[in-house]
Amino acid sequence: MARYSTRSARRRKSLRGGQQVRLTSMMDILTTLLLFLLKSFVLEGEVLNPVPGVNLPQSTSEAAAQPSVTIAIFGDAVMMDGEMVASIKDATADRDLVIPGLAERLDHARAQAEEIARLRGSDEPFLGRVAIQGDRDINFSILQRVMYTCSSSGYESISLAVIGPS
Amino acid sequence: MAGKRQRGYRQLVEADIDLMPMMNLFVAIIPMLLISAVFLKVTVIDMDAPAPSQSAAGSPELMLSIAIKKDRYVVEWEGSAPTTIDRGEDGADKRLADVLSSIVAGQPARKDVIIVSEPSTRYADIVAVMDISRASGLPAASLLGAQ
Repeated sequence: MARYSTRSARRRKSLRGGQQVRLTSMMDILTTLLLFLLKSFVLEGEVLNPVPGVNLPQSTSEAAAQPSVTIAIFGDAVMMDGEMVASIKDATADRDLVIPGLAERLDHARAQAEEIARLRGSDEPFLGRVAIQGDRDINFSILQRVMYTCSSSGYESISLAVIGPS
Repeated sequence: MAGKRQRGYRQLVEADIDLMPMMNLFVAIIPMLLISAVFLKVTVIDMDAPAPSQSAAGSPELMLSIAIKKDRYVVEWEGSAPTTIDRGEDGADKRLADVLSSIVAGQPARKDVIIVSEPSTRYADIVAVMDISRASGLPAASLLGAQ
């Protein structure tokens, strides 16, 4: 009789929620995860977002990206700020190094940047920064044309985006 | 006697730390950090654009140039005999680094190098040569096309 009453008491206790879930192991996991994420936390944020579909080449360069106009070259497309401006096949078809579609967009972006600077009353010169996100498999012929078009449109400060050492 | 022992045990259990507030904090912090986590660090290689007048030129004299051919690297400088390194052999990158390091050792003021690529040269190969030249003490790389 005594044994029965002890068991029923234990059962009543468990039904009331008297037994707590053991959280220690979960806390261990969360603490490890928290430390790992805090280590990889970047305070200054991402200046350059990799364009989906572009496999950037690996490099040992550790130079941080600056805010700039982004040109992505991958597959058969040359894209500027998310919009396709030329196809690689057409751009490399002739010997002319200037890509007309890209030059037009760059000139437009430059005019816009200079107009904004004028309206703000800033006397900062046009920096002409451009970041090229090229797929690792593209040929030099298209890279050369994109770089040439950039420099002839006044974008002299060219950076090549790469995957840095981890 | 038995009741006394039981009471002592109960006191011990009740002294457990309440982990729920900490759990709540973790559950809020971890998704925030996961969203902002950067797993692939995008860096840049700053470089000089090829000047419009130079773009069609070959390897200029009095300059250090590395030509990336289909099967070999050709290092030319100051009009001296070009050094050819077979790209297919093992340790070609190491040999290129050694050649560049020896040139830099002779001319510590030199910081620039011209990388001459063919139209079909892969971008990843150009970046690899830029990495080698930077590691050898030549940080200012510019690109030229071999026509």
